Amino acid sequence: MDHQKYLKLLRFDEAELASRRAFFKVGDEDLKRLADLRAFAEQHSDAVIDAFYEMLLGHAETKRFFPDEAAVRRVKRLQRDYFLGLFSGRCDLEYVQDRLRVGAAHERIGLSPKWYLGAYRQYLALLRTKLLADFDAERAELCAQSLERLVFFDMSIAIDTYIAANVETIGRHQHAIRELSTPVIRVHDRILLMPLVGTVDSLRASQIMETLLVRVVDEKARYVIIDIAGVPVVDTKVADSLVKTTSAVRLLGAETILTGISPPIARTIVQLGVEIVNMHTRARLQEGIELALELAGKVIVDRKPTG
Amino acid sequence: MIGSVPILRIGRTLLLSIQLELSDAVAETLQNDVLLAIEKHGTSSLVIDITGFDFVDTYVARILAETSKMARLMGTETVIVGMRPEVAATLVRMGYTMEGVRFALDLDEGLGLLGHVIAR
Repeated sequence: MDHQKYLKLLRFDEAELASRRAFFKVGDEDLKRLADLRAFAEQHSDAVIDAFYEMLLGHAETKRFFPDEAAVRRVKRLQRDYFLGLFSGRCDLEYVQDRLRVGAAHERIGLSPKWYLGAYRQYLALLRTKLLADFDAERAELCAQSLERLVFFDMSIAIDTYIAANVETIGRHQHAIRELSTPVIRVHDRILLMPLVGTVDSLRASQIMETLLVRVVDEKARYVIIDIAGVPVVDTKVADSLVKTTSAVRLLGAETILTGISPPIARTIVQLGVEIVNMHTRARLQEGIELALELAGKVIVDRKPTG
Repeated sequence: MIGSVPILRIGRTLLLSIQLELSDAVAETLQNDVLLAIEKHGTSSLVIDITGFDFVDTYVARILAETSKMARLMGTETVIVGMRPEVAATLVRMGYTMEGVRFALDLDEGLGLLGHVIAR
């Protein structure tokens, strides 16, 4: 279940629960006061929720989350349970899980926190009116305060879930990008090719090195061709990371051939004063492959002499 | 005690298979023993297998590199074989690239590099 995952992701345990309740000042007396309002909440829930949805459906951007009548009826029911949860007199891990589930559901359908927060404020305002109508001013004020505490506590959880879900998505994407950005291709027996395309930042540079080294050992490679024709900018950092990668490849007993060195790159490398050691370099990938084959004791010959 | 790292002799080749992390003291003793063995046996090549290393600190790396250079002065070519990817990455990140030392993927390759052909 999603909310279980988020509970873990947010490291929400008894200690976190206690600390958060203390921070939002959700005390036992607040929960008791809200539990005493259970009958009141049930009595008004339909009216409050109807008014609440009137507002949501009256707003074009929130209206689109409720495509038809059936959808509205379904979420109204869920909403009722959710709101009555505030008057359950509980605020334990089970309660938190319930709230996490809501945040996760919102993230899934793409309902951004601003709608959630705006809607919750509206709900609080509606309830406050009902409280003032049903009770004397002092009790209404105390109840409204307790409600506010628990509602803010709820919102903190929903937002945390929202952020955690987003961070997780970003992490998944980064992983996919990393895999895409460091392909290693076996071009011949014991010859590997790593074509680099796009900007090389420090994270990617270390990714390149790690991926390449593991593949060198796995494939028992003797020669590694790194093609940098697709790297737009070669600065000191990039050059330095290539030199480092080459040095590490050497420690495993393989040799590196750097190809795709265009005139601007050649100029940059020399002008930056980067020492290219232990590395064969060639302008084009084709020459790099020919060199690797030559070093491996192989030659490419035309089948028929062409004149 | 150096007993933990045996120095094997196969013809004119010495084989050092280090299967445990080297302490500084053991590394130094080992260097000394290897050089004495080279002198004693008139060796022409030395293979150091470090497949067993999960981690190499720069001190041990330097001892290994120095041993290789000292051996060369005594007419013996050295090849270090079996370094793991993560060890290589760590050494390079620490700025230690062991220039002037030869490397090979594994023992088989290392012996091949030294001109040995093992009958199969």
